[in-house]
Amino acid sequence: MFARLAHTCFGIALALLSTVSASAEDIAPPSGIPILTMSGALDTTNVNNTLVFDADTLAALGTVTIETSTIWTEGVNTFEGVPLKSLVDLAGAESGQLLASAINDYTIEIPVSDAVEGGPIVAFLFNGDRMSVRDKGPLWIIYPYDQSADYRSEVTYSRSIWQLDRIEVVR
Amino acid sequence: MPATTHMRAKSGLAFLVMAGLVVIAAIAFLTLNVQREVRQLGSAQSDNMQWSLSQAEVEFLEYARQLDRNPIDAVELTRRFDIFYSRITTIETASVFEQLRAFEDADARLTNVRDFLSLSAAIIDGGSEEITSQINALRALSGEIRPTVRLLAKLGLDAFAEESDTQRGAVARTLTQLAVALAALIGALFVGVIYLNRLNARIAGRERAQTQTATRMNTVISTSLDAVIVSDDSGRIIEFNPAAEAIFGHYAEDVTGLDIGDVIVPEHMRDAHAAGMKRMRQSGERRVVGKGRVQLEGRRANGDTFPVELALQSAETDDGEIFIAFLRDISKRVENEQALVEARDRDLAGEQLKTDFLSTMSHEIRTPLNGLLGNLSLLRDTRLSKEQNRILGYMESSGRLLMSHISDVLDITRYDAGKLNTRQEPVNITALMEDIIDNQSGTAVENETTLDWGWHGEPMHWIVSDHDRLQHVMMNLIGNAVKFTRRGKVSVTAMVERTAQEHRLSLTVADTGVGIPEDLAERIFDDFVVGDTTRNREVGGTGLGLGIAKRFVTALGGDISVDSKECQGSTFTVSLPVEEAEAPSSVDETHHITPPANALRVLLVEDNEVNRIVARKMVEAEGHVVIEAHDGRQGAELAAHQAFDLILMDINMPVMDGREATQRIRTSGGASAQTRIVALTANAMASDQSQLLEAGLDEVLTKPLSRDALRTVLSEQAVTPTKDTAAIVDTGHSAETRQALGEQAFAKLITRFTHEVDDFMAWLASDVAQDYLEVASRSHKVAGSAAVFGALRLKDHLKDLENAAKTGDGHTVRGKIDALPQVWDQTKPLLR
Repeated sequence: MFARLAHTCFGIALALLSTVSASAEDIAPPSGIPILTMSGALDTTNVNNTLVFDADTLAALGTVTIETSTIWTEGVNTFEGVPLKSLVDLAGAESGQLLASAINDYTIEIPVSDAVEGGPIVAFLFNGDRMSVRDKGPLWIIYPYDQSADYRSEVTYSRSIWQLDRIEVVR
Repeated sequence: MPATTHMRAKSGLAFLVMAGLVVIAAIAFLTLNVQREVRQLGSAQSDNMQWSLSQAEVEFLEYARQLDRNPIDAVELTRRFDIFYSRITTIETASVFEQLRAFEDADARLTNVRDFLSLSAAIIDGGSEEITSQINALRALSGEIRPTVRLLAKLGLDAFAEESDTQRGAVARTLTQLAVALAALIGALFVGVIYLNRLNARIAGRERAQTQTATRMNTVISTSLDAVIVSDDSGRIIEFNPAAEAIFGHYAEDVTGLDIGDVIVPEHMRDAHAAGMKRMRQSGERRVVGKGRVQLEGRRANGDTFPVELALQSAETDDGEIFIAFLRDISKRVENEQALVEARDRDLAGEQLKTDFLSTMSHEIRTPLNGLLGNLSLLRDTRLSKEQNRILGYMESSGRLLMSHISDVLDITRYDAGKLNTRQEPVNITALMEDIIDNQSGTAVENETTLDWGWHGEPMHWIVSDHDRLQHVMMNLIGNAVKFTRRGKVSVTAMVERTAQEHRLSLTVADTGVGIPEDLAERIFDDFVVGDTTRNREVGGTGLGLGIAKRFVTALGGDISVDSKECQGSTFTVSLPVEEAEAPSSVDETHHITPPANALRVLLVEDNEVNRIVARKMVEAEGHVVIEAHDGRQGAELAAHQAFDLILMDINMPVMDGREATQRIRTSGGASAQTRIVALTANAMASDQSQLLEAGLDEVLTKPLSRDALRTVLSEQAVTPTKDTAAIVDTGHSAETRQALGEQAFAKLITRFTHEVDDFMAWLASDVAQDYLEVASRSHKVAGSAAVFGALRLKDHLKDLENAAKTGDGHTVRGKIDALPQVWDQTKPLLR
């Protein structure tokens, strides 16, 4: 709420401006090829009201590893990536939806509530290797399916978007 | 019948429960199935595969569109190609497409697509220049594969349609099964409801019946004339019916819950009651419960005790065991019984008085008569003139007649007192009859009467009977017939009627004498009935003869009758049940007397000088030595210091009578403690005789002493020097035990037995011995020990005590307890 006010009434409150600027400085604009662009209601931005990451800046948010089987792959594999929660926290979203889109413009809705500790990650390493577009790269939202039956549902599977490149935060 | 119903109901219910459980299990199973199917339906296994496949076509078309663009955007084309590539890879590898891949066509098509991808990728991976130059090749490849991609998408449609058909079918099947199972459950429930309903009706019916039974029972109990008291197993009163209220004077509501012992048991019986309850609780032993009627005492509210008859029964209920007591106030009955007993006792006492009088009189008459006859007998041994001899004969016959009259009176007394004993011995009836005929033939000749005798039919010479009694009866009948017949005929016939069951001997005495008037015939067997008084004077008689004859015949189990016409004659018939006897091998043993081989030392204890002299002379005449004592004490002292072969003991003596003297001799352990002691008494009553035998005497000789009897005793003594005291202790038996155990062990046992009896007597004397059942039980035990040592009299005494205690005969119990020390005193010295 507070963040939104600051966003809409940019320039009115100096104190607020300084806070936003301070946050924006946390994520540097990408120096390499951008792989993820976040837009919409964001507390933190770096490029034209969006938050753009290249592989390094994304990895710098801190990565976690999930070992799980999926219905699209064979056997148990290791996925490494950034917890979705880190991105949501960065955006300052406490509720609402994430509109995640793939390279082929396929878009699905992920409720912000899905982004929990030990929950889904935005994976960029598959068994330690970067994923090409042909291998559902560069980013793939992976839930720890093996961890809970709740994650082995149609809904979760439909949210497990691959070839991800954009996320819009809608509050 | 209720048990089977109950069982059937039980098994039916069990079956229903089982069926219900099976159906419920089936439903649970099917529900799980449905849930699984539904989950499968909703499962994401498919990842909306159809969409995925159609997306493959879309993505292919996107790629194809990039191929047709002019100019070519290499970057976008590559991306679109990569996206399609990624899609196909997914279809090739993802587990969700496994089923799809199983189609033969699918596999071939995917291979085709893979080939297309490989060929196109070779160009695209070359970079934008390569793409631009080879664009036509890419277009050609794309055009070639397009139908295949399209078919692949369509194939997906078919495959998934089929799969969902199968799944729907499975769901439908499971749902149908579920519906069937539910129907079955509802059916089972319905049957169950019907069954329970019926069960309920049956239970209701039973309850009604039970209520009716209970009402009936209550009515029975409340109208019972006997007190009905129900208690639980600890003795607390549960029910107390109106009769109980009336009898005991308590109100039911006052005593319900109280201890039955405090309410109806008299103070002096409470210990026994408590002991009984305790015994029953601890050991389950029941002495009264279910044992029929028992006579006890009850206590009314006002403290009065009264006799009750009790029947106690137990029953098992849900609340434990209960006891139902039926009590009847029998105080009236006991009073009546008491009155009857008293009346009888008074009668008996009167009878006893009469008997005592008669026996005393007979004693008083016999003693001088004894002296008289004895001296006559001695006088005969002196030198007498013929005249003196004749007079002596008259005197003797007069004396014997007098004696026989006294005997007649005694016989009647004896019979009426129930003390007439008969013997069972072989009797030669022919010889007996011939003797009587011979005896009477003189009189018959005097009366000019013919007297004949004979068997009618097949004779039975030897029978089992009492020789003396029979002789007495026949002598009387034949004597009368001869006496009352002049110039006539007396016929005596014997006849045996043989039947399978028994033989019956008829002895008929028919005369042609004066006959008996009709009115007299009925009374002819009564006492003191004589015919015509003048005639009677002529022939003589006390009028007791036929009375005695009838008594003897009755005692022998037979009957006697008379058939008579006045002035024509009388026929007397004696009819007896008899058994045939074997003739004894040696004939006429009774008169065969062995002369003494050596002289016996005989102690004669007699206070009457005449009797003493007569007896002494008789014994000395047999060649034995006589030592005299003038009273019991003197006799006992002599017996203590000298060993005699035989002691003749008068009973009625001053200073110390014969009984006491005998006991003293027996218990003194003196020189003659085991010597045979023969009582001399004028008291011929059987009861007196048995008393004497109990007092330790071995045999009884009736005064006046007859030479034959004395001779028999003396000659027996010469053959059997000593005789044990069989009546008190069977020494033969105890000797066997002694031999079996050894001397030492036997002595120990005797000591223990002595203690046992002493303890028992001490217990009887204490206040504890109120419980008759306990008394019976203990008597029984001690009697068993007594039997081991052959203490027969003690054993019999204890047996009597036991029986009396069992039947609750308080009078006898007290009598037996009082007499016990005496019996024990007699027994104890003989046990060593």
